[in-house]
Amino acid sequence: MGTRIWAVGGGKGGTGKSFVSSSLGLHLASLERDVLLIDADLGGPNLHTLLGMKNGHPDLGDFLTNKISVLEEAAVETPFPGLRIIRGSENILFIANLNHYRKLRLLRQIRQIKAQDIILDLGTGSSFNTLDFFLSADPGVVVATPEPTAIENSYLFLKSCIMRVLKLYMDHYKIPDLHQKMLDQIEKNSQSLYGFFRSLVDADRAYGTILYRALRNFRPCLILNKVRDERDVHLGRAMADVARKYLLIDLHFLGAIPYDGRVHESLRSLRPFFVSHKDSAAAKSVREAAEELAYSVEFSHRTPSEIRFPEGR
Amino acid sequence: MIKKIEDWNYYELLNVERTASREEIWEAYQAALSTYHPGSLAAYSLVTEEERRLIVERIQEAYQTLRDPEKKKAYDLALLKRSFYYSPKAPFRKSVGKVEIEEASQKRGFRDKVRRLFRRKKPGGEAP
Repeated sequence: MGTRIWAVGGGKGGTGKSFVSSSLGLHLASLERDVLLIDADLGGPNLHTLLGMKNGHPDLGDFLTNKISVLEEAAVETPFPGLRIIRGSENILFIANLNHYRKLRLLRQIRQIKAQDIILDLGTGSSFNTLDFFLSADPGVVVATPEPTAIENSYLFLKSCIMRVLKLYMDHYKIPDLHQKMLDQIEKNSQSLYGFFRSLVDADRAYGTILYRALRNFRPCLILNKVRDERDVHLGRAMADVARKYLLIDLHFLGAIPYDGRVHESLRSLRPFFVSHKDSAAAKSVREAAEELAYSVEFSHRTPSEIRFPEGR
Repeated sequence: MIKKIEDWNYYELLNVERTASREEIWEAYQAALSTYHPGSLAAYSLVTEEERRLIVERIQEAYQTLRDPEKKKAYDLALLKRSFYYSPKAPFRKSVGKVEIEEASQKRGFRDKVRRLFRRKKPGGEAP
């Protein structure tokens, strides 16, 4: 049985990454799938609060500090059937700056967990840890809000992902020469990523092939959150178009989640919005985003048939 | 592989299929304009002002061509003729017309060969 690993990330804080991951988790669990949420926001975990739970042990920190040898033992049941969670650690100082070995161990163990869906709720920023969690998952979902700050950070996050993909690719195929060039360009920071790609390809056409091959498998998804009008829905499609032309990646726009003031109230009463307002437009668009992804041709092509979604809701 | 803005064809610019109707082209034109208008959020921080102006110019040009059935036909033909030189793996043209274009150019090549054959034969045929 295959496992689908989701990562919900994006550069800016407060865009609703945890909201989207918890809602996605609740939605998938309501489809009678076996879902595990992992709070991978190492620097500021709070996913459990969104589900109305208190923090406590076991948590991710227990695994990372070797108190627990198997990651799956850190999973605890939530009040919602079919949904488990691995809470983030309170003990942030030891955890937030994961070293390479621990990160690999964590990633390896995530792959071994027996669940149908694993949802990683990532933290803010573009640290290597966050990027690697995002890249190891499929699908990786970027959550943005229709504000210049959030959009700037989303593009920045995607750029960092692309740089990371290229670096891994070059390390794997031992093309240090190109890597050095890339680093030079980043240090100078004089060009846009597109300009950098262009100058690379102008210099040597073979680089174009390398770039294209490396980026072909990087297909992030985009969800726009806290959308207030029709124009913002267009913005999602426009971003996908711009990303395809300028970042050379297939950014798959999954949908927009309308702004709902009641999210704030649910948060205060420690009841997940997705459960307390099942019929709201926001909850509906979370379901639609999950379906948009499940039924997209490209996605089901690269996903083994046995882990496709059940028909209907 | 990576195309200059000047090399994006009109369909890539407007993000429409080659088979799009006039209404679809109009809608795509409006969408493209709003994607690249000054102060657009989607292009924010990613597209430089210079590039943005160039794209808007090209979008206008694209719409002026594609709205006119005559010009569109001529443009499509020109694309077909040039298409032979595109790399078959070009990322921007995977959805539409890849097969169609390659077939078309092959056909043309084949027809040309036949024509050339006949042209050679004709003078030979007249001589005896």
